Amino acid sequence: MADKKKVLVIGGGFSGLTAAVETAEAGSEVVLVEKTGFLGGRVAQLNKYFPKLCPPNCGLEINYKRIKNNADITFYTLAEVESISGQEGNFNVTVKLNPRFVNDKCTGCNACNEACPVEMPNEFNYGLDKTKAAHIIHNQAFPFKYVIDGKHCKGTSCAKCVEACKYDAIHLDMKPETITLNVASVVLASGWEPYDITKLDNLGGGNIKNVITNMQMERLASPNGPTSGKILRPSDGKEPKNIAFVQCAGSRDENHLPYCSYICCMASLKQATYLREQYPDSTVRIFYIDIRTPGRYEQFYWKVKDDPGVTLTKGKVARLTEAAGGDVELVVEDVLAGNKITEKYDMVVLAAGMVPSTKAAKIPGEISYTHEGFVVPAFLKKGMFAVGSLKSPVDVAKSVQDATGVAIKTIQSARR
Amino acid sequence: MEKKFGVYICKGCGIGEAIDLEKLRKRVALKGKVPADIIKEHQVLCSPEGLEFIKNDIKEGTNTLILGACSPRVKTNEFDFPGTITERVNLREFVAWTQEPMSAEAQSLADDYMVMGIIKTQKGDLPEPSIQPDLSNAILVVGGGTAGLSAALEAANAGYQVTLVEKEAELGGWGAKLYKETPRQHPFDKLEDPKVFARIKEVEAHQNIKVFKSSVIEKTDGQPGLLDVTIRKNGNSETIKVGSVVMATGWKPYDPSKLEYLGYGKPNVITNVQMEEMAKKGKITRPSDGKEAKKVAFIQCAGSRDANHLPYCSAFCCATSLKQAKYVREKSDDAIAMIFYKDIRTPGQTELFYKNMQNDPGVLLTKAEVTGISDAGNGNLFVEADNTLLGEKIKVEADLVVLATGIVPSTRAPQEYLDGLTEAGKKGDVAKKEYLDNTPKPEFILNLAYKQGPEIPTLEGAYGFADSGFICFQYETRRTGVYAAGCVKQPMTMADATEDAAGAALKAIQCVEHVAKGIAVHPRAWDTTFPDPMMIKCTSCKRCTEECPFSAIEEDAKGTPFYKLNRCRRCGTCMGACPERIVSFKDFSVDMVGSMIKSIEVDEDEFRIIVLACENDAYPALDSAAIKRIKLNPKVRIIPVRCLGSMNLVWVSDAFSRGIDGLILLGCKYGENYQCHFVKGSELANYRFSKVKETLDKLQLESDRCQLLQVAINEYDKLPQMIDDFVTRVEEIGPNPFKEF
Amino acid sequence: MADATVVKPDLDFVKGVIASGGDSLKKCYQCATCTVVCNVTPDKNPFPRKEMLWAQWGLKEKFQGNPDVWLCHQCNDCSAYCPRGAKPGEVLGAIRKQTIKQYSAPGALVDIVNKKALMPLIFIIPAVLLAVLLSAAGTFKIHDGDVIFSKFASTHFLQFVFTPALLFGVAVGVMGMRKFWADMKQTNKVYSGDLNASVMATLKDIVGHKKFKQCDVSSDRFVSHFLVFYGFVAAAIATAIGVLYIDILGMESPFSLGYGTPVKIFGNIGAIGIIVGIILMMSNRFKNAEKLGEGSYFDWLLLSIIAIVGISGFLAQLLRVAGVAPIAYPVYFIHLVFVFSLFIYLPFSKLAHMFYRGAAICFNKYSGREAQTQ
Repeated sequence: MADKKKVLVIGGGFSGLTAAVETAEAGSEVVLVEKTGFLGGRVAQLNKYFPKLCPPNCGLEINYKRIKNNADITFYTLAEVESISGQEGNFNVTVKLNPRFVNDKCTGCNACNEACPVEMPNEFNYGLDKTKAAHIIHNQAFPFKYVIDGKHCKGTSCAKCVEACKYDAIHLDMKPETITLNVASVVLASGWEPYDITKLDNLGGGNIKNVITNMQMERLASPNGPTSGKILRPSDGKEPKNIAFVQCAGSRDENHLPYCSYICCMASLKQATYLREQYPDSTVRIFYIDIRTPGRYEQFYWKVKDDPGVTLTKGKVARLTEAAGGDVELVVEDVLAGNKITEKYDMVVLAAGMVPSTKAAKIPGEISYTHEGFVVPAFLKKGMFAVGSLKSPVDVAKSVQDATGVAIKTIQSARR
Repeated sequence: MEKKFGVYICKGCGIGEAIDLEKLRKRVALKGKVPADIIKEHQVLCSPEGLEFIKNDIKEGTNTLILGACSPRVKTNEFDFPGTITERVNLREFVAWTQEPMSAEAQSLADDYMVMGIIKTQKGDLPEPSIQPDLSNAILVVGGGTAGLSAALEAANAGYQVTLVEKEAELGGWGAKLYKETPRQHPFDKLEDPKVFARIKEVEAHQNIKVFKSSVIEKTDGQPGLLDVTIRKNGNSETIKVGSVVMATGWKPYDPSKLEYLGYGKPNVITNVQMEEMAKKGKITRPSDGKEAKKVAFIQCAGSRDANHLPYCSAFCCATSLKQAKYVREKSDDAIAMIFYKDIRTPGQTELFYKNMQNDPGVLLTKAEVTGISDAGNGNLFVEADNTLLGEKIKVEADLVVLATGIVPSTRAPQEYLDGLTEAGKKGDVAKKEYLDNTPKPEFILNLAYKQGPEIPTLEGAYGFADSGFICFQYETRRTGVYAAGCVKQPMTMADATEDAAGAALKAIQCVEHVAKGIAVHPRAWDTTFPDPMMIKCTSCKRCTEECPFSAIEEDAKGTPFYKLNRCRRCGTCMGACPERIVSFKDFSVDMVGSMIKSIEVDEDEFRIIVLACENDAYPALDSAAIKRIKLNPKVRIIPVRCLGSMNLVWVSDAFSRGIDGLILLGCKYGENYQCHFVKGSELANYRFSKVKETLDKLQLESDRCQLLQVAINEYDKLPQMIDDFVTRVEEIGPNPFKEF
Repeated sequence: MADATVVKPDLDFVKGVIASGGDSLKKCYQCATCTVVCNVTPDKNPFPRKEMLWAQWGLKEKFQGNPDVWLCHQCNDCSAYCPRGAKPGEVLGAIRKQTIKQYSAPGALVDIVNKKALMPLIFIIPAVLLAVLLSAAGTFKIHDGDVIFSKFASTHFLQFVFTPALLFGVAVGVMGMRKFWADMKQTNKVYSGDLNASVMATLKDIVGHKKFKQCDVSSDRFVSHFLVFYGFVAAAIATAIGVLYIDILGMESPFSLGYGTPVKIFGNIGAIGIIVGIILMMSNRFKNAEKLGEGSYFDWLLLSIIAIVGISGFLAQLLRVAGVAPIAYPVYFIHLVFVFSLFIYLPFSKLAHMFYRGAAICFNKYSGREAQTQ
């Protein structure tokens, strides 16, 4: 059954990628739009997945290959949806394509990056290091095509990259373009953002150098991260040997995120293994309210718990302050022992929660959101579907189930 | 196809500066046995001009292209020439970016790669899909619970004929036995009426769905697109043809009789399942005397998260007990419901449900390790617990105790039975017979008439759950065309099972669509090649039938293997397994790789090492190292393979007999958390190699010259060093003694 | 191994706490944020997390002789940071109220203070009593000429009526405190036991408002409580000086000593302190109502009485100076009525905290818990 009608997928993270390739492999044409310059989304920033401790790039690579080998998938990067109108079977969508300043002639040779004089904070690494305005996010990025950051690039007055490029791939005068798509159904998969820890005033409000987020920890541990995979604390590059994890940093908290962010318990347990593997003499203490490792994830919890270098303590950390020498002082009640304890750590990792991207950036169209910014699926127009962390915080596995499930609904839409 | 060759070398991205192209051209013409005039250069092959340059030749009849340029992982759109055989030789990443420019070593490396590229195209051919006749695109859904109903409806609504088989007399599964459901939608504040009945109605009225109730599957035979399923109902059997299967056979509650320490067996100790039944009937009373229960204790993780019982979390019991606590409170305002938990697990937005349910004066919660249930007189019970928030050791009186028992997948019993059978089989025929005679046979689900067993093989350490084993690919399965969904796969809530089943239904329709086009299903979901054995040389050794990870090869009455092609995933494991080397794909064969190996220039003074690299993870890792401009050892020659499972031992002898000094099998990590997309390719390669180690040693060919290295895709930073270390070890062993021959 | 403690949940107690201002009680999920952000809790067996759980389970016996609920100064840092919207400050406040009820006799007065419906009685009983007594003295009327309050209620009358009222209040309070002290001694381990030193240290804490300074979220409570507290101290000093003039120096009211005299200075400073302080307290409550809780009836009652006492007293003085007799005397009467209420209901109202909190702070020092854990 071939379907002439197209499906639009908004968001090129793992949910969006899955929805796109699964739909296309079932016979529909798919257009995938992604806001950033590259596909892969948040998972591309992870060092390893829980509980298998396998690298996300492995699955991404397969999905990229599925895209490369499938003529039914078209994708646009640096693309933002500007409007959605119409109804199932006939949605008109306008998409703004922001300039990459690099065209398809780019071979990925890196000459522009070498020539570029402009340094900027590396967002892919959550500001842990700098990158240049002409850059590629990492060495397994897809598409393997450089991008020039319009905000930081000095433009035609500099143009050192243009000179350096032998392939006529850089055009600093590129303008945004708008394209219109007609599609039968729309999949919303714009993913999530880590919670802004500057709002956690009692946990240092982002001002303590050696208090990092769980996503920053992923970058520190990743071979393609700012420290090439060596976990070093930001203030002085010291090897952290005594590390605390603060669970529910923002999550399960009415003052911040009233829901549970689902992934953080498993993420911290996983990150404990990073540390313990890299520094066998290190000690890790995880402070939690409830350990949430549903299903067979329980086995992973047991494995980490059995490591004598890892301690788990019930109690929510509610105070962090900077101590001498860059250390971090932490206060918590060990609930089961009934003691309030104050301890110093080399580094503290905040298990910052997930915020649906639609909290800050609403997708245009008649879409209902909860106060927390989640899409309410029951109120979505026929032919529109939300997946993954737009509905509720989920891990990659659940996102994949959900996105695959949504693929069949897009097929139904296309055939109605 | 009559091949007309064209060899193109790109000078861009540093290739022109790293290699003397004049020399390269001469060597390639000589060794590749192609006329020098078909070897062309271009400044930037991927540029519009470069592509035009190639396309002009294609117009002139060139149909077999060897492109010496960048990695085949990039510029795929540009170098896509339909109707041609296109071989991309990775001169950029493997030579220009990783070798000393203009060195003799870089030159020789480029020579070898180009020649191998030519040989590969000479030995290969354009694939044509194999499409079997009389395919069915109908979907079979096994199990009529929450997941099964969802799968059936989704597939039917997408336009496919569905057969739904349910073993009970009524559809609905556990969902139909509930008094109320936990809410699935914001604001998560009210218990809801079960939704399953509306779904049942929809299914029973759907024109695309045929329902078999009180029915079981007697036999499933054939292959995707051509599955003959025999359904037994009331003693009668009927065989239908379907294309693929969703297995949504759900779960059973953990046997509470094993929970004697939690008081099961005492009249006023019930399970959460019994609680639902009771609430549905009306009053919440004590079984012993029918008195209304006023102090109800819920014991969480009754069996779950317990090394002696179920070492996993059953995922929904926390929300269920919160819901049932509300039943208690709804029925009586002076009743209390006490929940004793290890951790409250209400992930995601379900947290809001927890918050709403706990905000009731009579719902009391504490973390606790419940150690036992004892009698408190009058039919009342003491819940005894340690390490609670209320004290280190406490006792609380209750008039009814509810055990939040966990789930056991319906696949567990058959799996355990089959595992037992395998174990017994290892001890010999007598033991096997004894096992068969004495072990009660559990209810099987699919009864596959497959060489490798009647059910989906479950993962090691999965406690019978039919889980995929891949984070990224939740519907990966070792029985092509059979997709598990719902609690048979992982413990999950009804909301999750509904979504999961939709996903499984999608995979099922994808499978029939691919089969109809003669394309493989995931992960080689574009591949139109297929294994094409030269049966005349088959010795019926059956290695292929045993090693195929997908049980795609059956044996006929005489024991001769034959393919059930639609089950095949094109990994090439059979090709690697076959000692007679009779299995070939159009673009991948034993002879092809052997010839490539043999084409490598071996110099007496130089060490030469071959890396057989899995193209899924190892090859991208090598590429990534190159992108980082990490030097690769110039002595190695990298040959990509579909999966290390396709590694045929003859390649080892090809290499060593030609004087190659070392061989690296570069594949995925194996073991419980295997990363191989074809289950155990690298493990099989290692196993096969271990079998010939002794022979090699006997030939005075140190077996240490060949080694399997496990590498993950993100270990590109370590990989060049791993290779260097191996090369150093081989250099220590010394040159291949066969070199002089 | 130790024997298991039998836990007996009491739903009525839970409902009672909820009804008396602890309605956020059930929201707690035991994360212990409250304990961490609390600056006055000891490190060992800290509060208020455990108290929240006990209250959720209705374990009323846990609050028998429990000093911790009184160590809480309800600065509400806990409520501000509570991730679940529970207000431990309010809940402990509700539990404290239960304690007052438990230790103060006679019970009828407890009910009057605690039940909103009986609120009029708080004013009517003293008003009737004073009216009857003043009528008997023949001074219950608006007097002509310059406004001189001693014409309305003579100083001897005041001494005669208010001294016993105050003594009653203090006596009941002290008796309750003694029972509380005995319970604390019974249910808690005593390590140290130096009573004199503990009392002195406690007084020092109270004088310096030490605990209030430790609050983060509502640090302005230090100022307001400080003002009200020292307002009363100043008023007491003024009264003492008055007593000195009358009973020792034999002077007669009105003293006509002008505004520069100690009585007037202390009296007015006290009045201003009380008024400004109480207005601050009330406005803080409004400002933080959403997050920290708007306070219970019990709280508001005391705040209102004090406000009326302060304002009516000050207003009476102004009216006296202005010579507006028809209003001045009634306002003065109101002032007297509310002062009387304050005295008589002292051990039953929230004002009783001076006894129980003082005792708890002292016990914490006496038992050695404070020293041991800080």
